Amino acid sequence: MKLIKKYIPLAIVFVFGILTLLTYYVPHKHSVNFLEAMNKWENIVSAFAFFLGLISLFYSHYAKISRKADGWGYSIFVYIGFLAIAVPAYVSHGKNMNGSSLTWLGWAFQYIYNPLSATMFAVLAFYIVSTAYKSFRIKSLQAFVLFVAAMVLILGNVPLGQMIWEKLFGWTSCAISDIVDWILHVPAVAGKRGIMIGIAIGAVVTALKIIFGIERQYLGKD
Amino acid sequence: MTKNKLIFFIILSLLTAGGASAAAKKSIPSPALAAISGLSAADMPYDSGGTTLLSWDADPTAPAGTVYRVFVSSLETGGWIKAEEFGSGEKMSGSLDLPFWAWKTRPGVHEVKVELNNSFGEVNDGQVFHFKISKVGGAVSAESAAVSGSTRGNWFRLDRLNNIVMLALVTIVFFWAVSHAKRKGLFIRRIAGLDAIDEAIGRATEMGKPIYYVPGIGDMTMVSTIASTFILGEVSKKVAQYDSTIKVPHYNPVVMTVSKEVVKQAFLEAGRPDSFREDINQFISQDQFSYAASVDGMISREKPAACFFMGYFAAESLLLAEVGATTGAIQIAGTDAEGQLPFFFTSCDYTLIGEELYAAGAYLSKDPMLLSALKAQDFGKLVVMVSVVLGAITVSVCSLMHWGVFAQLIANLFKSY
Repeated sequence: MKLIKKYIPLAIVFVFGILTLLTYYVPHKHSVNFLEAMNKWENIVSAFAFFLGLISLFYSHYAKISRKADGWGYSIFVYIGFLAIAVPAYVSHGKNMNGSSLTWLGWAFQYIYNPLSATMFAVLAFYIVSTAYKSFRIKSLQAFVLFVAAMVLILGNVPLGQMIWEKLFGWTSCAISDIVDWILHVPAVAGKRGIMIGIAIGAVVTALKIIFGIERQYLGKD
Repeated sequence: MTKNKLIFFIILSLLTAGGASAAAKKSIPSPALAAISGLSAADMPYDSGGTTLLSWDADPTAPAGTVYRVFVSSLETGGWIKAEEFGSGEKMSGSLDLPFWAWKTRPGVHEVKVELNNSFGEVNDGQVFHFKISKVGGAVSAESAAVSGSTRGNWFRLDRLNNIVMLALVTIVFFWAVSHAKRKGLFIRRIAGLDAIDEAIGRATEMGKPIYYVPGIGDMTMVSTIASTFILGEVSKKVAQYDSTIKVPHYNPVVMTVSKEVVKQAFLEAGRPDSFREDINQFISQDQFSYAASVDGMISREKPAACFFMGYFAAESLLLAEVGATTGAIQIAGTDAEGQLPFFFTSCDYTLIGEELYAAGAYLSKDPMLLSALKAQDFGKLVVMVSVVLGAITVSVCSLMHWGVFAQLIANLFKSY
């Protein structure tokens, strides 16, 4: 049992981890084909997993409805939403357009899915305003530096801000666009690169931990 | 009459003079273009095949505006297809993006990569192709004799030698740190966001409210998602110990399947397998905003005591974190998507930045073997820091002393190919 639950999965991870790592250094067609095969396998596994996900989704919402749990009415919309797309998709053979006219599926996408998705995306704008308000509360020196940098960027990107800058600091012969460029290309990029370097090294070490079987929580401990 | 004859002779002489001038102009020979010499076709090294490297001697006497045209054919005669066209000063030997240890630059030589796949589709190893170059300068042109060459797939990217050396170095330090961990403990700095996990779970237990663990929208091939499942394991173990409630809404069904096993195992290890329920992990949707809307709805209705956002996030990060913040939950986030970090900083109580997310599983488990791997991470960062400082000094000195070639060699060492 331990062989099946522990050693074989570890061996699979080791062999395929090393082979995938080697594809970065081996440009041969065999290496490219291997990567393509792995991607295909990933897609196949994902397709099966998606089916499992769908069962999980339906089961949990069915349980909510049958238990009459709080907010069970919302669970009905999961089934309605599923049918609203799945039935037109079946009738339209998965096609959005039939010549120049919309199929049922195309109609469902254009008039149900897209407006809902766009609405959710639009909400983001309001959250950004609320987040910006939180960020601009000056509670420390760092917050003050952030505030100043953000104000300069805001001023630099609107004509009114540029006019104000010209009036107040025109005598410095330093255009606000130069300062905006400097902030975006020097301190911001430096910070970003610092984070990215840390992430890259962390990713390498995490990969080594998994390949060599030191991190195996995904298998269970025994 | 005499006057008319005079006018006739004047016109005739003018016309004759003009004609003679035109003839004189025509008789000046155009400067001929030098012949194309030294043309050769070789397999492009360090590739998967299908690319030929053509090289020939540059013509320093070529007038301005001269262009080279590269023709390729799969037939022995005819069937020429134009593959490249460029100015006479372009595509010199040094312009190939290869480091000094993998490629010797030849001054005064044109080197052009011809990707045969673009013109002929799939190209087999050893398939012979024919090449010729024409040089066009104004009205005159010169053409080379055809040369033949074949391509093959290569087995090693020598240009990535710097990368493999760095990887070997990190791997050696990794194994040294792992073996060192068995002998004595290692000091690991405290990470406030991870220390707060106990507090968050304790709060949820006291309040009798659930904990939401959101693993993001990454798939199981992403390091951040893998790291997220490690943290989920540790969080679930504590939840099981405290007999609290955890809910894990999923975007990706593969991640859901893995997470289900991780949570089940955590409950088993905590000695509470009876508390495990199948609906802890729930698939929501594989559409970004549908997922965000659904999780937002669940958080708004159930008002959890704590929310964890660990993994890869995109635009939905703010949608989720802001809704969580409005419910008054303790929020701990961690992501390696640097574009989303500012949103988490402002909306969450604690945020793990990139590498801290990867280290979190080891930090929480307190397993010496896992903790030791963090030392390899620290070593990598040390190498980068020293390289950045030394590189900046070296390149600055080279610039001052006009040692451009030396600066280029140093830059080659740290470049990704």
